[in-house]
Amino acid sequence: MSPEQEPLTPFERNARTVLEESVQRVDARTRSRLNQARQAALAAAAAGPAWWRSFTLMPAAGAVAAALLVAVTLWHREPASELPVLDAQRSAVEDMDLLADAEGLDLVQDGDNSFYEWAATQADANAESDG
Amino acid sequence: MPAALHGDVDLTESSSAQSRSRALNQFLASVELKAFKIAQAALRHEEDALDAVQDAMLQLARAYAQRPPEQWKPLFYRILENRIRDMQRRRTVRGRVIAWLPFRGEDDEDEPDPIAQAPSSEPGPVRRLELNEAMGALQQALEALPRRQQQAFLLRTLEGMDVAETATAMGCSQGSVKTHYFRAVQALRAQLGDFYV
Repeated sequence: MSPEQEPLTPFERNARTVLEESVQRVDARTRSRLNQARQAALAAAAAGPAWWRSFTLMPAAGAVAAALLVAVTLWHREPASELPVLDAQRSAVEDMDLLADAEGLDLVQDGDNSFYEWAATQADANAESDG
Repeated sequence: MPAALHGDVDLTESSSAQSRSRALNQFLASVELKAFKIAQAALRHEEDALDAVQDAMLQLARAYAQRPPEQWKPLFYRILENRIRDMQRRRTVRGRVIAWLPFRGEDDEDEPDPIAQAPSSEPGPVRRLELNEAMGALQQALEALPRRQQQAFLLRTLEGMDVAETATAMGCSQGSVKTHYFRAVQALRAQLGDFYV
């Protein structure tokens, strides 16, 4: 593969020559160590990644399981602890609505008046019939 | 015949695994010396450089051996770079801790090993002297470069990777690779003009 699209400058060519020469001069002990490392890597590749990946994924799987357990626990506990609070909050909000809604109060007042008038009429009629 | 068919499939898979193992062996053999020199330039320590290359080889083989071979080189150098960065961080922390210790012995690991120093090939004495001077100067200049510039220069010049591969290996854009490489060449040229006319 060509390392450069543009032609190398003399400086780059010289630098590459020196670097390649330094690679050629790597001592025998280092070469031996690198060879051993390569053989170990090939053995690891031949053994396959299954066991290695399964061990790697274990912490992640454990974390997901723990998160699910916590979520399920909280979900089951939620209704008992939350309902009374919600009821109290809801009634307080309805009271606030009634007090704040002037038009609503007028309507209720009108209805109550007619009811009270009707109730008074009925009471008078009953009294006359009894008397 | 299911048994024969099964046997054929096994043979094919075995042959495929063997050819992949051969390809991986060839690839690792082709990059190991250059990778060692790149790690050595970054870490300035032979044993650490060997450890970094060994870890990168193992991780590539374990995790990416099944990838297409043309992806191996950028992946390998990406892994190596991560390993080098981890070692540099650990060394920084260790240096801070050691700096606080009241008594510190001499570090025997820094003493050169005469066997390790022995070159594997022997050019002529004049050429050898020239190369020694040029190598020493280049090594010093490379070590003085910022890490990203050093990485871009070595991956492109020594490993012969193109801009796209270098960008994958460095985890940056191709534009960043060009910038790092250009600045590295400028800085090296300013320092090494006497050796590399």
